[in-house]
Amino acid sequence: MTTPRPAGPSGHTVFALLITWLVLYFAVRFFLEANMDLSSGIRLAIALIPTPVFILFVWTFVRGIRSADELERRIQLEALAVAFPLGLVLLTTLGLVQRAVELNFEDWSYNHVWPMFAFFYIAGIFMAKKRYE
Amino acid sequence: MRNRLKVLRAERDWSQADLADRLGVSRQTINAVETGKYSPSLELAFSIARLVDQHIEEIFFPE
Repeated sequence: MTTPRPAGPSGHTVFALLITWLVLYFAVRFFLEANMDLSSGIRLAIALIPTPVFILFVWTFVRGIRSADELERRIQLEALAVAFPLGLVLLTTLGLVQRAVELNFEDWSYNHVWPMFAFFYIAGIFMAKKRYE
Repeated sequence: MRNRLKVLRAERDWSQADLADRLGVSRQTINAVETGKYSPSLELAFSIARLVDQHIEEIFFPE
């Protein structure tokens, strides 16, 4: 038999943490936009509220990958090998474009770019899974 | 890399899920190995060989 894999978190746990973080993120974002008159210290404290949940999500996700079998780990690696460079290309290109022309903050701020990272990762998962089907 | 895993599994009347359970891997992994889309690690190849009581080179061979 192969080396026993450590019991990992269920996919439901990972998904629930992700949803929790997303809900918190948007709640905090809308709250901050609606309460511009608060002191910067309080605003900063509120802005950091979703971060521990995201750290917990990452930790749970990593535990999930460690408990996955070798093909699942390969698929994750290939997905990240697609997503990480594409994310870098996106950020560096936006940086250069922003130096060349004035970008609309509301369209191209970090608030709107981060979902592209999730999209790159999902695309990478799709490509890798297709390859081994 | 080609292999005889599908034949060996059929001889034992195991489904892919049966074999996956016995090896502690996912059914997707068994399917990918059988179709030659994924070459297993040495550890998994040895586990397969031990399970079907054959030498690795009797199961896996180069294209």
